Amino acid sequence: MTPGPGIAVTGLGLVTAAGIGTDVSWRSVCEGRSRATRNPVLDGLPIDISCTVPDLQPARDVGPRSALMHDRFIQLAIVAAREAVADSGLDPKTWDGARVGVVIGCGLGGIATFEKQHRRLLEKGPQAVSALLLPMLVPNMAAGHLAMDLGATGPNFVTASACASGATALGAAAQLLRDDLCDVVLTGGTEANVSRLMVTGFAQMGVLSRRVDDPTAASRPFDAARDGFVIGEGSGVLVLEREADARARRAPVRARFAGYGASADAHHITTPEPEGRSVRRAIRSALAQAGVGPEEVRHVNAHGTSTQVNDVIEARTLRAVFGDGVAVTSTKGVLGHTLGAAGAIEAALTVLAVQHSTIPPTANLDQLDADVDLDVVSGTAREEKVDVAMSNSFGFGGQNAVLVFTAA
Amino acid sequence: MSATYEKLVDLLVTHFAVEREKIRPDATFEELDLDSLFLVELLLVLQTELDMELADDAVNRTDTFGHLAELVEGRLGVTP
Repeated sequence: MTPGPGIAVTGLGLVTAAGIGTDVSWRSVCEGRSRATRNPVLDGLPIDISCTVPDLQPARDVGPRSALMHDRFIQLAIVAAREAVADSGLDPKTWDGARVGVVIGCGLGGIATFEKQHRRLLEKGPQAVSALLLPMLVPNMAAGHLAMDLGATGPNFVTASACASGATALGAAAQLLRDDLCDVVLTGGTEANVSRLMVTGFAQMGVLSRRVDDPTAASRPFDAARDGFVIGEGSGVLVLEREADARARRAPVRARFAGYGASADAHHITTPEPEGRSVRRAIRSALAQAGVGPEEVRHVNAHGTSTQVNDVIEARTLRAVFGDGVAVTSTKGVLGHTLGAAGAIEAALTVLAVQHSTIPPTANLDQLDADVDLDVVSGTAREEKVDVAMSNSFGFGGQNAVLVFTAA
Repeated sequence: MSATYEKLVDLLVTHFAVEREKIRPDATFEELDLDSLFLVELLLVLQTELDMELADDAVNRTDTFGHLAELVEGRLGVTP
């Protein structure tokens, strides 16, 4: 396969447990300290910790009517998208909106709204249910609201591949540029699922860390003592353009989005296929599209959820493809697992690793699991040239998405 | 203005983020920037908050805020 036309990343926007903004998120990830805290919303539940976005004020950060019509997953996406567009130097007042697409990954949608309105139905009857329930609930509204907010009238949709949704969105977005259906695509992911029902659901599966007495030590990808992930929320949005277009308007290019690969395990509803055959195929597809060999990849932002099963299987798979030549990190140690947003947030962090020649550490990695035979960065960020980097995302249902970024 | 009128004003300001100074008896819902979906929501909220029944087409976008206030006061049996 020959590499496709170069796709440039010209804008980034992040809203994470570290705060609102790309700089604060990147700084926090490079410091390598977990942002998990006790969460009053979860009081009384066995798992009451999360990685929640601090200090988001809808009226101030989104708009006066935001609380009325936006679930939190929309608010997070709008804030991230506005930052990304401003960062790109594009102006929604003057751009040709018909050539601007929006592709956002989202696993669940407005789950807090769903729970609140369902409670009203049970407690007060149908008359008490909001007329805005549906437009606040359905996941496609993440892309729909960005179109309305920024005047982007090109192709517009949401991708759902569980915890790979954000990475899947980037792959679909690049294809819109390659097919010349758009000149600009705002792409990323958003999720706000830290609700009592969702946390309970994940807890019942046994995938959440039980280290509730020590929240900042709970998410510890690849560590021998890991016992599950910390649920998180957030949004990451990237502005993609064809590199030639970006260069023509003299936009700063943060990195190239060079390759995308995707596959399905066709194995089990939640457990990854133990040999990682389909993941390896997705990695090879992404590398082929990027036109690079495995030996050229310097850094991998792993899916690295901090569950027993994922981290060992992913490590074995990475080892099989790359040997010991890559510096691996999982930024979920700091930001938790943001599900449908994770692939996009981690894509943005991988872009920043390439741009700044800095590989963030994996939080809480005190003792590498004996079954993880990889160079996993721990302690402090590692400064070194990163010309080629990869980001993995895997979703329940065995949906795999792999992104490759190269230095601009 | 009656207590009911003031209550409706507060509700529009707090729940629907309408600017207080825009709200006058002769202002239409269109002028208050409330579209048809927001109007339906407003009627639902009123029914729950005031424990009364209102048809979902009781007011439309070209009706005035004063008209709604009179309607609500009539239902509550309160003299303006």
